[in-house]
Amino acid sequence: MIELRSVQKKFGARVAVHELNLTVPRGEIFGLLGHNGAGKSTAIGMMLGQVWPTRGEVKICGYDVTAQRARALHKVGAIFEAPAFYDYLSGRRNLEILSHYSAPTSAERIGEVVDWVGLTGREQSRVRTYSHGMRARLAIAQALLPQPELLILDEPGSGLDPEGIAEMRQTIARLHRELGLTILLSSHLLTEVEQLCTRIAVLNQGRKVFEGRLADVKSAQGRVKLKTPDFARATTLLRERGIINGAVDGVYIELNEGRTTAEITKALVNADIAVEGIWHHEQTLEDFYLDLVKNTPNQR
Amino acid sequence: MFFAQLYNELWKLFGKKRTYIGFGAFVLAQCAMLLLFKYTRWQSHLEQLLFVNGYVASEYVSALTVALIMVFPQAALLMPLYVALVGGDLIAKEAEDGTLRMILCRPISRVRLLIVKWLGGMIFAAVLVLALGITALSTARVLFPWHGMFVGAESADNMAFGLFPPGQGLELYAFSHLFMVVNAFTMLSIAFMFSGFNMKPAAATILALSYFLADFIMLHLPFLEEYHNWFITHHFESWFLVFQQPTPWPQIFQSEVTLLAISATAFVIGAMGFQVRDIKS
Repeated sequence: MIELRSVQKKFGARVAVHELNLTVPRGEIFGLLGHNGAGKSTAIGMMLGQVWPTRGEVKICGYDVTAQRARALHKVGAIFEAPAFYDYLSGRRNLEILSHYSAPTSAERIGEVVDWVGLTGREQSRVRTYSHGMRARLAIAQALLPQPELLILDEPGSGLDPEGIAEMRQTIARLHRELGLTILLSSHLLTEVEQLCTRIAVLNQGRKVFEGRLADVKSAQGRVKLKTPDFARATTLLRERGIINGAVDGVYIELNEGRTTAEITKALVNADIAVEGIWHHEQTLEDFYLDLVKNTPNQR
Repeated sequence: MFFAQLYNELWKLFGKKRTYIGFGAFVLAQCAMLLLFKYTRWQSHLEQLLFVNGYVASEYVSALTVALIMVFPQAALLMPLYVALVGGDLIAKEAEDGTLRMILCRPISRVRLLIVKWLGGMIFAAVLVLALGITALSTARVLFPWHGMFVGAESADNMAFGLFPPGQGLELYAFSHLFMVVNAFTMLSIAFMFSGFNMKPAAATILALSYFLADFIMLHLPFLEEYHNWFITHHFESWFLVFQQPTPWPQIFQSEVTLLAISATAFVIGAMGFQVRDIKS
């Protein structure tokens, strides 16, 4: 659905996005992560034909956004951080106005979408009277109007309270489940990404530093938590036996490929080192992300 | 689809209070001028002028004459100000508010979006000018009778002087407003052009007004007399040339074509600026 090939974007001398290659297949919820200024919004801008790439090719639904914008965006919906509307007009009028930039949309379709996002009864009120949550729902409604196959969400939870964030998360999951949409989700909220996405890419300083399955991230590198009264002696012994290749933070050890926790327990007990506890450690996305960003050299 | 988009553009434009500042200001200025005309020496000065030229003042100090007197300063100063205000908003305000990003994630080309907005602006400009003419005549009619029309006006390059029966006066009054609409188109297009570039709406309006003011000042500099055809404010005067007898049609036609060409050029430059720019939050 989304294909970026060697895409670069420069603002003056500053390279905002550097040689970005990204593929989002149909049917996925794909997370795009990165700190402020990492290049996420610029990348999304290029996907939507709002920012011109300096170099490279951006294809959406098989069409080049730069050359065939209308075809590429025909079945695309988007939501931005702090969605903007014509506050002095009603929610329904906003939907009518925005839908006419895509294709003629029937009153029934608008009613259907309003109902889907749960704004029925408030659609005739002026948008300036809407809460943050209602505006977020209106944003989803406008994105759904063209009956999209792809939804691009740029920080959709921004500015929402915890209840609103949870509601947004449920809505995104519902969009994927009920409507079968492919979703690109750019977010700072790592827990949201963790709960929703199947694959992620991490941008740092305009470069992609990781792309892969979230499941692989979580079970990363066979990290094990070991609780023992003599951690230093234990790790030295395990290293000598070739069972582990390293220790982290005085708590975690990293297993060599093919080795098991049973071997650790056996080796330590035989060496008369007490084992108070041993667990496979499932890495959180936050741990992974922070490690990745911390360990990526500054390349700007 | 195109007409639905244009209809929506007009809905957006006429749906916000800011759009009506111009209409409100016209009515207020007209009321103030009307009272000043009636209750100061302004009216007696006009009567004196008519008398000196051998005319019966009571026959020509009429609603039509006073309406035209009120329209002159408004067409020269207020009208450019208000169309520039709206023209400067057309793109830049949407970019500032973030609604432009919402629009541009839709499969509409930037050029088409600009055409819709520009036409919407043109319709606004026409409505504003017509409102100016109608309200001026209506407010003048409240205090003055329906008699003949006296026209006595002079500008940097042109002069109009004439007396017309009420029917012909009304026709010319209406006709002059059609040409005034072209002035409003031009001013709006210049503000629209700046609005297409990456700047705040206020900056687009100020730049358009600065251009207008600089043009106006240069028109009145004696050593630039032979270059008057290069100034838009010179061509802006063509609307009152319809009151000249005989009517200088070639001169009016030349000015109108020049103004329309300037409007089209401003649109093209604005569209080029808008086409190449990146739209970011």
